[in-house]
Amino acid sequence: MTELLRVSHTMTLSWRYGTSWYFAEFIRALRDERRLLGLRCPVCRRVYLPPRVVCGNCYAELSEWVEVKDSGTVRAFTIVHIPIVDPTSGQPRPTPYGMALIQLDGADTTLNHYLAENNPAKLRIGMRVQAVWREERRGTLSDIVHFAAMNNQTMNDEQ
Amino acid sequence: MKRVAVIGTGQTKHTKARDDVSQTELVREATTRALADAGITIHEVDAIVLSNMELFEGRALPEMWVGEGAGGYRKPVTKIATGGTSGTSACIAGYHQCASGLFDIVLVVGWEKHSEGATQTGMALTDPLWDRNVASGAVGNFALSISQYVAERGVTPQQAAKIAVKARRNAARNPNAHLQMDGITVEKVLESRMLADPVHLLDMCPQSDGACAVIYAAEDRAKKLCPRPAWVRAAVTRHDQPYIGDLDRRLVTMRTLRDAAREAYQRVGISEPLKEIDVAEIYEPVSYAELAWYEALGFCAEGEAGRLIDDGVTEMNGELPVNPSGGVLSTNPVGASGVIRVAEAAAQVMGRAGDHQVADVRLALATGYGVYAWSDVMILSAG
Amino acid sequence: MNNDTMNNGVIIAGVNLLFNYAAGEAASRFLIALRDEKKIWGTRCPSCQRVLVPARSFCPRCFVDTTEWIEVGPTGTVSAFAPVFHLADPSGFGNPKGLSAALIRLDGADTALAHFIGETDAPQIGLRVVAVFAESRSGHILDIAYFKPA
Ligand SMILES: [Zn+2]
Repeated sequence: MTELLRVSHTMTLSWRYGTSWYFAEFIRALRDERRLLGLRCPVCRRVYLPPRVVCGNCYAELSEWVEVKDSGTVRAFTIVHIPIVDPTSGQPRPTPYGMALIQLDGADTTLNHYLAENNPAKLRIGMRVQAVWREERRGTLSDIVHFAAMNNQTMNDEQ
Repeated sequence: MKRVAVIGTGQTKHTKARDDVSQTELVREATTRALADAGITIHEVDAIVLSNMELFEGRALPEMWVGEGAGGYRKPVTKIATGGTSGTSACIAGYHQCASGLFDIVLVVGWEKHSEGATQTGMALTDPLWDRNVASGAVGNFALSISQYVAERGVTPQQAAKIAVKARRNAARNPNAHLQMDGITVEKVLESRMLADPVHLLDMCPQSDGACAVIYAAEDRAKKLCPRPAWVRAAVTRHDQPYIGDLDRRLVTMRTLRDAAREAYQRVGISEPLKEIDVAEIYEPVSYAELAWYEALGFCAEGEAGRLIDDGVTEMNGELPVNPSGGVLSTNPVGASGVIRVAEAAAQVMGRAGDHQVADVRLALATGYGVYAWSDVMILSAG
Repeated sequence: MNNDTMNNGVIIAGVNLLFNYAAGEAASRFLIALRDEKKIWGTRCPSCQRVLVPARSFCPRCFVDTTEWIEVGPTGTVSAFAPVFHLADPSGFGNPKGLSAALIRLDGADTALAHFIGETDAPQIGLRVVAVFAESRSGHILDIAYFKPA
């Protein structure tokens, strides 16, 4: 049998993504004012976060800004144990870490983001969480470091 | 619209790394086997549809570089990529080409060589505006949706593990399957490394090198070429919104699969899928997903999926065997995986599934699942 | 991989990806002959009789296995060329200064090989060339460094 060869290449690729007015406005409010903005669909009235230009359900154009709070309710969670490559750093993300789908107060969609807690016994669907912000904001969703359980969160638990 | 049937299928042996063949040669291996199964030569093929996730292997325009492995020289060749659904979407596109009457014989080939690329990093290249900042890969995202499904339906880790065990036991009778695990048990699944709560390593699919081909023929050719062709009775595809947070409890509702199945059943006239369908090859990248798909596909009422696996209803000797091939949980070359579902369903109808053949198959179901919520459904029948 | 947001609403993102392509048996044999023997091989199609270079396991036109290994070159004829000054180099392939891209039909081959020509100020179609092998070879198409006038 022939010796079998492999040909290896490391490819360094870069991209420059143009965004849009809604992205710029969301980032401006997040970075400069520490506020989260969603866009409301004029037809179904759903508030989208992340904001986008079109409602997938109604195919209507979105233009009405709605302020969304940086607190919300956990709708799904997991503790990740495999070190996937963090696309924002290129490094494996230290494990374990908590992930959740969080419905921010005022939004109809959920946002996937990190949790401060990584013990599954202390997490449950319906618990209330609050964003922990980075001190110096750069204008990305990573300006929220993660979400932490709210004080007295059992009392505030959404049933 | 013409009636169309699958008249031949071909697969490679799926495995962790196929160093002995290039991608082009891998594709040719599956193609050659499908041509032999159909009893035709490449010169009788009128059009070709390819399926591959190009980003994983970093090869732009794989249809150009690899297409000649599918015999694409001077033929109409197109490529379909819709994530995990790529293979079933390519099968649906190939079916449309044949049913339209424009082509008599259409070849569909899907492949992936995960050993050649950077799949995990490739999968992290999601939407750069939002999603990429908060990515956790396929496993993390599944685990999120599973937490909702478990909370609402009460399925247990043991029930999910039974799905994982069923898949690997079935794979042991399929010589093409990638994972060959002797003595797999529920305990071993639950003892395997935790990837993302509650998903253990053995709850997840592997990454495989492999290719699979399916050949369609329009009615008159199909009848001449094949003693028992697998007739396409329905082919439905549905997409949803892009962000995982847009979806209403993804695995609980799974509205794309629900909608696609409902439409497919209507076309065929199926009212009781569990009773009427003889075998199903469904795209289950993780054990819990198969339980969720049972509900979305109407195999059971909501909340009854755990009972279905507890009662052995979907085992090889059950009322509706699901994934006799071992499924995606045993073999996952992504671009090929959907084609494998259709090829396996067709082989069951044609009576050519070998040691994992289910007796007397007249009606077979194949599904595809991609990214957060894309779904494809095909139904094949003997008559 | 990194992902950063600029103030003007443009996202600059980048990634390093490692790929490891299996050559397969036929291409491995071709590359090993370059590396170990400084020889160039093709394969003949039993149906159309063409000699394909680099060697391939099957003829894409006839869709049959190639059966016969044929040594070709190291001399050949330039069938097309283009001076290249600043080749983008995403693959990591080197492009030493002064080379022109060229298609070269090696003696004994029926296909043209895409490669480079050097050591000439006046490349032209029809120019007779010969392979110059690299000093250090690893089983790679650039084990042929370039072709020079024969
Ligand atoms: Zn030939």
